[in-house]
Amino acid sequence: MHNQGNAAHIFLPEIEDTVFEGSHGRAVFEFHGNTRDYFRIWIVNVALSIVTLGVYSAWASVRTRRYMYANTTLGGSRFEYLAEPMPILRGRLLAAALVAILALAPHVSLRLLAVCIGVIGLLMPWFIVRGLMFRARYSAWRGVNFRYEDDYVGAYKWYLVIYAVMAVFALVAMKLLITNGHQIIAALLIIIGLFVFQFMLYPWVRGKQQQWMAEQHCFGGKAFHFRFDAKVYRRIYRRVLGIYILSAIPAAILVFEIQRSLGWTPAELHQHPLTVKALSYLYAGPINLAIWAYIRVRMTNALYNHTSIGPFQLESSLSYGDMLRIYFVNAAAIICTLGLATPWAVIRVARYRAEHLRLEGTGSLDDFVQTSSRRTRVGAVGAEVDSLLGFDIGL
Amino acid sequence: MVSGEYHDGRSTRIRRVQVMLEGDQLSWRGDDVQGAAQLVQVNVSARMIGVPFTLRLPNGAQLQIAHDDMPGDWLRGRHRIETLVDWLERKRWVALASVLVIGLSLFGWLEYGMPWMADRIAARMPQRMDVAMGQQALTLMRGRMLLPSHLPAERQAHLRELFDRFSRNVTGLPAVHLAIYDSPSIGANAFALPDGTVVFTDTLLKALPDDASFIAVSAHELGHLAYHHQMREVMRNVGLTVMISMAFGDVTSLSGISAAVPTFLLNNHYSRAFEADADDFAFQALARQGIDPIAFADAMHALERAHPGAADGREVRYMSNHPLDAERIAKAEAASRQFRKL
Repeated sequence: MHNQGNAAHIFLPEIEDTVFEGSHGRAVFEFHGNTRDYFRIWIVNVALSIVTLGVYSAWASVRTRRYMYANTTLGGSRFEYLAEPMPILRGRLLAAALVAILALAPHVSLRLLAVCIGVIGLLMPWFIVRGLMFRARYSAWRGVNFRYEDDYVGAYKWYLVIYAVMAVFALVAMKLLITNGHQIIAALLIIIGLFVFQFMLYPWVRGKQQQWMAEQHCFGGKAFHFRFDAKVYRRIYRRVLGIYILSAIPAAILVFEIQRSLGWTPAELHQHPLTVKALSYLYAGPINLAIWAYIRVRMTNALYNHTSIGPFQLESSLSYGDMLRIYFVNAAAIICTLGLATPWAVIRVARYRAEHLRLEGTGSLDDFVQTSSRRTRVGAVGAEVDSLLGFDIGL
Repeated sequence: MVSGEYHDGRSTRIRRVQVMLEGDQLSWRGDDVQGAAQLVQVNVSARMIGVPFTLRLPNGAQLQIAHDDMPGDWLRGRHRIETLVDWLERKRWVALASVLVIGLSLFGWLEYGMPWMADRIAARMPQRMDVAMGQQALTLMRGRMLLPSHLPAERQAHLRELFDRFSRNVTGLPAVHLAIYDSPSIGANAFALPDGTVVFTDTLLKALPDDASFIAVSAHELGHLAYHHQMREVMRNVGLTVMISMAFGDVTSLSGISAAVPTFLLNNHYSRAFEADADDFAFQALARQGIDPIAFADAMHALERAHPGAADGREVRYMSNHPLDAERIAKAEAASRQFRKL
């Protein structure tokens, strides 16, 4: 889910309560951070992290996240980020060791690499659960922290077993087709299979993952509820294909024109590897951004718009056009300033996201009461590993 | 006396309270709550621009006081490091200086610190690992990129003889041996694998004008082996991957894609330095065995003829593993002049 470095995604799957008395209440999210303050905080913390060879980075993360959380309000009350740096540092060192092993393994032996990937794959659902628990536990609003009910069985079911089952089915089907194969029928069946996977199965799995994740969260003694609707996800992944086609055509034309104006024959291309590499980024970068932004915007809306807690319903109205523009400008600004525009970019996204999120419902935001005030500690290993290795848990 | 919010830690109800400090006793009073606690038992959050202070009370409740309302003397002696960081975060000149510090320390770390550390680690790796790396690379390429050589057996035997005689007299080498393959996909090239295998392709051997130039290229590859370049390069790549993944967050996401460009450029930067080192090693090894290093320049010219066009692209400098050919040829000629003077 979130790459927390990019503090734009504050832990939002949880929000609740405002002081609303009217028959139809609406509590808004607001973001009060500004680039000037955030830039200073960010740059000092980045500098200290580099100078200390990364050791300070745990403290840096805590400070930058505290700023982003505290400047996000719901119903006028600020969120709080409560994590301590030491557990984050421990988790980060472990995650860095994992990255080092993964980077070294392919040079030494492919079997070792396969074993490493296998082990990490088996542990991944566990990391996901621990990461969600950590983020929930250390996010608070009005002095009450969020909770994530650990459900390892669910995590293994939705993030490992389901994929394994699909892979086995696919392999068995392929095997059958190839052994008693009429080739045309085999090809047709494979195409149908891919179609079913891309437009039916995969969206359904992603939706179920969202449901599982949302429903394990709770706040102030109330659990989040999620209305699952497979149609929503099927529509998202149908349109992804359209966006791919729409963005690939102009990108391909552009790259082709550049190549033609340089006047190289295909045979000459490999003599200019740097230019070829730049062209391939020019082609793939915008397409990736367009698709990534689409999935992100629609999945975020899908998550919030089907999530409720107590009498409140979340509403997220991110628009793809706006977000795409924001992301494109951010990417360009960050590249042109060699990263110095990052705080500005982060603030822009956070502000836009807060502006388009609200809580609807009748009831009082004062009514969330935690039954137990027991506060257990949660280790940061899961959160760090998944933000470094980037498991896509689909938020 | 300052005003703040009281959160009881269990419900989301806010109570407005007045907070005051008398001696070391903190007390609060307001909408149907009041209480007191020793200041030392209260956990005050660190000061930060734009973030309110949270005072965590011993009973699990907390007080929230707006950033600007907080009296400075309530926090004296707490969070020493973060207080310093907070001070830094408020200074404009510190922000500007930070940009400079980031630039300089990144440069220092990437150019000296990380390579130094990677070299130390590489030096401690067991020999078994070099062998494993070399074997694996060879297994992957053999049959696909590396096909059996078409050179006549007697020519191969002759080259092997030359190679063995030369390498026996070079000090500081692991066990090395020559391997000759036909490779249409690699073209005219030679490379050393960490287990001590030096691979030449048929095309390169046909392009090289004489035995001396063959020995010159061998000497360059032996330089890579003598300096453990492959292992050091792998360790630097690993170090770089770890650094970049920490800087950019995850490796697979969108920001990971943008990290690919600097990773690529830096890896190239490191391997170019290795090539220059291997060249210097070759010049010395050749001279020591009475071979004029100009043979290396001859080999370079032959390679240029085998890859027409590669020499004129100026951007090749940033790309190729080998420093710009003209530069290397000039160095070989300088080494040759010195050799003749002796």
